Amino acid sequence: MSISTSPPAPVVMTGARSGDLARSEPPIIVFEKVTKIYANGQAAIRDASFTVRPRDFVFVVGASGAGKSTVIRLLIREERATEGHVLVEGQDLARLKHRHLPRLRRKMGIVFQDFKLLPSLTVEQNVAFAIQVTDPGRPHLKEKVGEALYIVGLEDKLNAYPTELSGGEQQRVAIARALVHRPRIFLADEPTGNLDPDAGWGIVQLLQQINHRGATVVMATHNREVVDLCRRRVLAIEDGRIVRDEAEGAYLRDGDAIL
Amino acid sequence: MNPIPALKFVSRVAIQNILRNRGIAVASVLTITLTLLGAGVAVVVVHALDGVLHTEESQASVLKVFMADHVAFASEVNLEQNLGSSASVARTTFENKDQAAQQAGSSLGLTQAINLLERSGAGNPLPASINFQLRNIKAVSQLNREVRTSALLDSGPHPTDYNADVIPRLERYIFVAQLGGGLVVGVVGAVALVIITISVRTAAYVRRREIEIMKLVGATDWFVRWPFVLEGVIVGVISALVASLILLGVGFGFGGGQGLALGVGARFALLTVLALVVAGGALGSVGSFVGVRRSLAT
Repeated sequence: MSISTSPPAPVVMTGARSGDLARSEPPIIVFEKVTKIYANGQAAIRDASFTVRPRDFVFVVGASGAGKSTVIRLLIREERATEGHVLVEGQDLARLKHRHLPRLRRKMGIVFQDFKLLPSLTVEQNVAFAIQVTDPGRPHLKEKVGEALYIVGLEDKLNAYPTELSGGEQQRVAIARALVHRPRIFLADEPTGNLDPDAGWGIVQLLQQINHRGATVVMATHNREVVDLCRRRVLAIEDGRIVRDEAEGAYLRDGDAIL
Repeated sequence: MNPIPALKFVSRVAIQNILRNRGIAVASVLTITLTLLGAGVAVVVVHALDGVLHTEESQASVLKVFMADHVAFASEVNLEQNLGSSASVARTTFENKDQAAQQAGSSLGLTQAINLLERSGAGNPLPASINFQLRNIKAVSQLNREVRTSALLDSGPHPTDYNADVIPRLERYIFVAQLGGGLVVGVVGAVALVIITISVRTAAYVRRREIEIMKLVGATDWFVRWPFVLEGVIVGVISALVASLILLGVGFGFGGGQGLALGVGARFALLTVLALVVAGGALGSVGSFVGVRRSLAT
């Protein structure tokens, strides 16, 4: 694989970097002895505990089926923990009423491997959609959409349809859509899974920029190279258990076999 | 959330959805039109039947009380006023002996026989009578029992007369007609509800990605649901209007230029159209509400 390892492009900084300031703040995400057992009896997460500080960048790594996506799904309350507690900004998601779920999700930007774009809408409309369905009267809609697309580098693709874009560009549109609410937490579930190595690296760089701008980023991935290149915090999951939590980790521990 | 832009957005999405899934929309309109048409026909037929039965009922709701020949006029008036003041009596008419003879002559062809009797010195054999028109057919037998205790009545074997056998039969017909009409309307309404639910469920399935994205970016359940509900209302109302037009067209066609067929008046026709539109809108909204519920479960 040949990917550019240049640092993220310079962006306007609006938030502090992760570091000492974050250490003094309460965690923005808490997993406390969390177990998730699906209806078919399969335990996706077993007794997992970890915290994420504001402005952290965390890779959740592991083989397919290890439980990475379940962590993301628990964080957006698409699933509920069978045991234990998941807290986001101090709010216990088990106690969160269904009608308050939209408020939680507006604090989060979420992207997935399959982009989840609407093919019948243009790039601009796809991004605007996130505002229109949550706050249709919000002023300066066009400017906000333009700003989000500028951040992801697609300001010249406003009128293109998703099918006219590459995979990397489609993922950037999804990221722009997730950005329009200025989320404090950015969740990415295998965002590079459908991309070639260069496009995948571009997306990871973009997520690092978003992190530099002040958002906490949690990225579930089994892309070994980007994890090893970034040297950010790594939470490794095996068979639903957190087996490793390293501040500047690699995809594999020394001596581990390649998955 | 500002309601005006929200309403604009929801309306735009609902109309876009109808246009985008016009195959499903047209199929829904056609099937719901047919079911509402069935309901409309049932309502009109029951109404017409009800009219006929009520005419029959009003004719059968007459109690004829034959007076004895010796009764003074004042006593007859007194009896008429006493019983006529009851709430169950709509009106009373007095028929004297001459009128009875005329009536018998014209309706039964007995003119010659009556004339013969009068010429022979026997006089007019027919008694005077008081006719009580009752508001409710069920009150006839009760009044009959009351009036028979009076000494002023004709001493013959039949001092009173009413269509005793017709009354229960009419009551049965009215009950069956109303029950049958109600059942048809109920079944047809349920069918329309199922059709709308299925069509909205199909539309929600087609648009599952859009719903998923809306929920992921933080749209409320109501915001996801509203376009579907509005879509259901639009489809329901369009179906009701089409069904109404067909009903009116057929009604005028069979009316032979004399207004609507089956004696349906303009007021009833307007009420039926309004009822169909309200029913179509209600079925559409309820069907959509139920249809999209599954998509909002997570």
